[in-house]
Amino acid sequence: MIGLTHYLVISAALFSLGIMCVLTRKNAVSVLMGIELILNSANLNLVAFSRFTSGNLDGQVFAVFTIIVAAAEVAVALAIVLSMYRMLRSVNLDRADTLKG
Amino acid sequence: MRLHLRQDWASVVSAVLSPRLPGEKPMLAQFSNVLIFMLMGLLFLVFALVLWRLLRPAGTYSDVKYETYECGEEAQGSAWIQFNIRFYVVALIFIIFDVEIIFLLPWAVVFKNLGLFAFVEGLIFIAILVVGLAYVWRKGDLAWVKPEDYRAAGEK
Amino acid sequence: MDPKIIADLHKFYPEIVITGTFLLVIVADLVFGRLRRAVTFALTVLGLAAAFALTLPLFGAAPGTMFSDMVALDPMALFFKAFLILASLLVVLAAPGSRELSGSGLGEFYALLLGVTLGMILLASSTDLLMLFLSLEMVSVGSYIMVGYLRNDRQSNEASLKYLLFGAVSTGVMLYGITLLFGVTGSTKLIVIRHALAGAATPGENSLILLVSTLFILAGLGFKIAAVPFHFWCPDVYTGAPTPVTAFLSVAPKAAGFAILVRFFFTGLSQAGQGLTWITFASINWMPIVMVLSIVTMTFGNIAALRQENMKRLLAYSSIAHAGYILMGAVVLTSDGLQAVLVYLITYLFMNLGAFMIVIEIYNRTGSFELKDYRGFYRRSPFLSVSMSVFLLSLMGIPPLAGFFGKLYVFAAAVNRDLAWFAVIGALNSVVAVYYYARVMKTMVIDGGDETSPVHASWDSTALIWVMLIPTVGLMLFWDQVQKITSGSVGLFLGN
Repeated sequence: MIGLTHYLVISAALFSLGIMCVLTRKNAVSVLMGIELILNSANLNLVAFSRFTSGNLDGQVFAVFTIIVAAAEVAVALAIVLSMYRMLRSVNLDRADTLKG
Repeated sequence: MRLHLRQDWASVVSAVLSPRLPGEKPMLAQFSNVLIFMLMGLLFLVFALVLWRLLRPAGTYSDVKYETYECGEEAQGSAWIQFNIRFYVVALIFIIFDVEIIFLLPWAVVFKNLGLFAFVEGLIFIAILVVGLAYVWRKGDLAWVKPEDYRAAGEK
Repeated sequence: MDPKIIADLHKFYPEIVITGTFLLVIVADLVFGRLRRAVTFALTVLGLAAAFALTLPLFGAAPGTMFSDMVALDPMALFFKAFLILASLLVVLAAPGSRELSGSGLGEFYALLLGVTLGMILLASSTDLLMLFLSLEMVSVGSYIMVGYLRNDRQSNEASLKYLLFGAVSTGVMLYGITLLFGVTGSTKLIVIRHALAGAATPGENSLILLVSTLFILAGLGFKIAAVPFHFWCPDVYTGAPTPVTAFLSVAPKAAGFAILVRFFFTGLSQAGQGLTWITFASINWMPIVMVLSIVTMTFGNIAALRQENMKRLLAYSSIAHAGYILMGAVVLTSDGLQAVLVYLITYLFMNLGAFMIVIEIYNRTGSFELKDYRGFYRRSPFLSVSMSVFLLSLMGIPPLAGFFGKLYVFAAAVNRDLAWFAVIGALNSVVAVYYYARVMKTMVIDGGDETSPVHASWDSTALIWVMLIPTVGLMLFWDQVQKITSGSVGLFLGN
């Protein structure tokens, strides 16, 4: 009843929302949330393809690895944002403007 | 392996409106169960609100009713305060080690089939994690108050 | 018991040694008190040298894959292993002499560098999309921290944040592209993907999905090699990062990016054609896309470099332009082209690292990266000025310096594939590049500066600069060997 298309549509929507969030937000933490949306849309794709087309578990294993990589990446990202906050007292990306040219 | 996207949409529409298997109710009809649940829930809520309104005494307003805890500590200030930065550090450390444990689950599932090989491999994996833990420990990030902060506070 | 994995282990010694060194360095940094600077440095150098030595006996092994087709062991993978370990080793040797890094403990820096090196050599040899993604993230996450290594420096922090946001978005987009490719072909293994595409029932099926997926994957790979339009991070990150890290980023992860780009496109998305050429599939013709990318990258890099006043920024744009030239070698789809990529990377390693070493040394002495502070430097330090001029002339591609041979091979590969117009665009770009490199030389040698106090380079930087200078000048004397090594290293394992 629920087919591959449903998953693909949801994941495409998540991906677009993630990209939109990344492009429009000024807050570093919100941008990180957008990145999470992108990664999770890819996860959804992986699991759906694994279930419907590939016939093996490769996609699901891939998804587990993606989750872990995403966690590690976000941990580093938050640490860098914190370090930036300590310096600027702000997480607004417009304030990060000393490098130009 | 071509993906039949357009055809899939048509199948979704037809599945909603008409039965897929002989003798099965169409999807729309299956959703009637959900509708009944929603109606029952709404009815229960309205019934409770109306009944309470009829039974309770009127005109007993007091400020105490709007406190966060009616018979506890009095709340002070806003809940939107800035948390101690240590919360984030501890949370970050937690999430990394927490997530790494996912790898041990499939390992445990096939442990019996692989025997010594899996044991050694798991040991190496955990040893690498232990190095990470030792690093965090030595750097004082597990303590609630970092040793360096102590020293800095003492010097002031 | 899985005997296959254990049987593969002896071909994996370089990676195992680097992993071991990585852990040892972390522990040594925690355990040793006053000695830890020296101990971690010695451990890192020894570890990388051992890994390099262990890579050499593997040359000549039968091409194949290891660990259930995750990692390839073929001439090209081995070439990049040796190349990347050497690049990391040179950066490690340069790190203790840098004034920027002297304020902070270097143990973590070495550990991060080792982690990134491990990621890079896995990236260069991965034949599975999962391995590709994991090792790419390993390189990226390590580099983010290395860029932000100066915790109390605002520019370093900002550069790190920008790098991280661009990096995370492009790898996220790449991951989405990977999932689409997985969905269409049903596998994450590059060799199986090629078979699936070759065995298409009707030519050109799924071409739209494949196009989207290739573009998305190109976003991630383009980010790593800093190709336009995925280059936005590059100038800012190169300027804000500590200079040894900039030198590292401009050579090593870029080379690893090219390694995986070549491997992905040649093993996964094209098939062997007549002679020593490859052809693309009807369903996804990526050649024109990458060709446009190459032209735009070199043109933009060169034009933007024209008006830079900061040395690090100038070298950042110049490195973007060089990425364009190297892409040119990859996109002509011949063995000649692949060899040209390898030749270019070898020459680029020495001349670009050399130029950065001098920027580091001048900063150590004068505390400035601005071009205006380089004025009249010839009178202050003839050695630094002359060696800088040699590196810049090599980057221009003036014969008989090393850089000339890189460009020669790339352009020749394009002409041999009947793409003379492509080579002409490259040559025109080199002419534009002459202007900004020559401007730096003019500033250093001809212009008169107010400051005339002599500058003496420290002995260790002098030695390192000589290590870069000798291959840059003398590579042509050993051209037989270079030719032999690179032509022997173009072999990619394409499956049985």
